[in-house]
Amino acid sequence: MTSEALVAGLTLLAFGIIVAAVAFGSAIGDGIVASKAVEAIARQPEARPNIFTFMFLGVGVLEAFPIIGLGLGFYLLLSVANVPNLLTHLH
Amino acid sequence: MHEQIGEHILWQWPVFGTVHADTIMTTWLVMIISLVFFAWVGASYRSAYVSKRQTVAEGVINYIADLAMSTLGERGEPYVPFFISLFIFIFLMNQFGIFPFKVLGLPFGGSPTADINTTLPLALIVFFLTWIVGVRMNGPKQFLHVTKPNVLLTPINIIEELARPATLAARLFFNIFVGELLFIIIASIITAKVQIGPLNLSLAVTVVPFLIQFFNFFVGTVQAFVFTLLAIVYLSLATAEDH
Repeated sequence: MTSEALVAGLTLLAFGIIVAAVAFGSAIGDGIVASKAVEAIARQPEARPNIFTFMFLGVGVLEAFPIIGLGLGFYLLLSVANVPNLLTHLH
Repeated sequence: MHEQIGEHILWQWPVFGTVHADTIMTTWLVMIISLVFFAWVGASYRSAYVSKRQTVAEGVINYIADLAMSTLGERGEPYVPFFISLFIFIFLMNQFGIFPFKVLGLPFGGSPTADINTTLPLALIVFFLTWIVGVRMNGPKQFLHVTKPNVLLTPINIIEELARPATLAARLFFNIFVGELLFIIIASIITAKVQIGPLNLSLAVTVVPFLIQFFNFFVGTVQAFVFTLLAIVYLSLATAEDH
């Protein structure tokens, strides 16, 4: 196995692990935020606009981390290792 | 592929060195658009009756103003115009990336917030605002805030204070940047002419940009809102009378 193939394969594996981890974590976090918001609205329906405001604040803050993870993953894949370039030179 | 990730048109300026020309020009364009828009909205205040555009603009402005006043209390009233302009400026900059000016060969276009040189100064404005307002309200003992629950927690509090502008800038930058990155990835799939058996993947994937644009509109609105709301929360934490 050439070193280019090794680098390309390991970078693709790292990219998959990064994306899977951030998707897993943010899905759990979003689910907790949404379920608590639904509980709060069921308990106090008249506070619904306020709860929606803070639910979107929570989702917005939370959504930043998977996006940052995805951005750094793409940076690793396309800029640092340049996997598409490596794959075209493989064979 | 012509469009590259993180590629900017560069200018050489005497004092500042190399600057990103497209970011600067787009920011100035957004400023001109928002000034003209608010002059247009404000012109209706000269007549006695309430016009339609005044009602729509006041809906947005009242929402942010109520939020700031309910979080900051009475002493937050002088800073309400700052938060309203922050929200509308970031919102317009986020949504400006929908126009494909760069493809037409113009030297501007794309979201200025997809460049960390735009978001970091905005976060630093909020950082210095919280400290200057805190010192004006509480005097020099504002700096004792970092020792507050216990003196042993001072290093952690200082790190927290410094991490706030960094995360504020990184959150806005990465959200808008990844939105533009997804377009480049879809474009690279389309230009690569991928054929998997009977399925023409390059043709099938041309539907996806519509969905991504909808997602970008939602993300741009939510991130402008989150930036403004976190600025309000940081100011309310800095100006709190006692912990």
